Amino acid sequence: MSETKKSIDAHSHRIWDVIMVGAGPAALSAAVYTSREDISTLLFEKGAIGGLAAVTDWIDNYPGFPKGVAGLELAENLRLQAERFGAYIELGDVISLKRVGKYIELDTTSGPFKARAVLLATGSDWKKIGVPGEKEYFGRGVHYCATCDGAFYRDKRLAVIGGGNSAVQEAIFLTRYASHIDLLVRGDSFRASEVLQHELKKHTDKITVHLNTTTDEIIAVDNKVDHVLGTRKTTGKKVEFPVDGVFVFVGLEPNTQFLKGSGVKLDDIKLVKTNDHLMTSVKGIFAAGDVRSGATMQIASATGEGATAALEIREYLDDLKK
Amino acid sequence: MAKDITIYTTNTCAYCVMVKKWLKAKDLTYNEVNLDEHPERQKEAFEASGQLAVPVTVVTKKDNSKEVIVGYNLAKLAPAVA
Repeated sequence: MSETKKSIDAHSHRIWDVIMVGAGPAALSAAVYTSREDISTLLFEKGAIGGLAAVTDWIDNYPGFPKGVAGLELAENLRLQAERFGAYIELGDVISLKRVGKYIELDTTSGPFKARAVLLATGSDWKKIGVPGEKEYFGRGVHYCATCDGAFYRDKRLAVIGGGNSAVQEAIFLTRYASHIDLLVRGDSFRASEVLQHELKKHTDKITVHLNTTTDEIIAVDNKVDHVLGTRKTTGKKVEFPVDGVFVFVGLEPNTQFLKGSGVKLDDIKLVKTNDHLMTSVKGIFAAGDVRSGATMQIASATGEGATAALEIREYLDDLKK
Repeated sequence: MAKDITIYTTNTCAYCVMVKKWLKAKDLTYNEVNLDEHPERQKEAFEASGQLAVPVTVVTKKDNSKEVIVGYNLAKLAPAVA
């Protein structure tokens, strides 16, 4: 089936059984289950199919891959599996949604759509650190995707900011390009897994770790990123790191802005609240994966939640027929 | 209508895959410059976009004017190739 055919088919249903917002691991797993049971399933993806997993260099903790798997490969396999059973993926964005009578109406960049049920699986994006220079030099020295932009830093000096799994994983990835990396960690220890910390120790020739170090400002000279200013928290002293580029991995921010006005309730950090059946505060709208309040932000748990959500949606759709 | 489309990509870039997938879905042909295979052409991508990022899509229109789109940005890609 060609991509063009899929795009046309996305509009051929007057009312979809389920529309999934996002096509990351949670939605793709849910789509395997729903489409396999002949529940008409449409997914909207505004970014990369596979979500943040697709832009992650290497995934070591997803079950079934004893040697690990490239994020891009895992994403592609999830897509192929969902499409094999008849799920359609529309490359577009959902601008807003709301329940109107029996259906949920979605305003999208591909036009208006209607569904009996909706799965919110929009995941998260990288959080910004909010320091001077970050916004100004975004894409020109400040980056959030190592697998996309790392190649521009062959034999250059970099700073990687963050102390979690992503920061360590991506710093290791960037050693294939960079001549040296300063890894700036705000806390007094890593949040990254022991396995990754062990792996990091194999790269001491290229990566220097700075614990207890804040990132205060990204400074450019002649319109090019030149150095990072920070503070050593233990001494209060200012520190300076000469760099050509900065990669930021300081946590995740949920993609829930489009839910304004939908009636879907969010928690204090803007994650979607659900009940035990993964249903949100709006009947027929479910949530799974990183965007859900209480999610553990792991690819394996996102796929599990996707499967659970699919079964709950099936039950919900069955109840509608009674 | 686009006369020529060139995409600068890298091997590991998921958003590059998405741009190519989207263009294929529209039955549009493109030239790909893989910067992992041709690092000497990075300067060309930077000069076109002003950014150290991929994907960079350069759309040359029939009147030879050029439009440059950085990232997987359908809001900009769609009108550029229309």
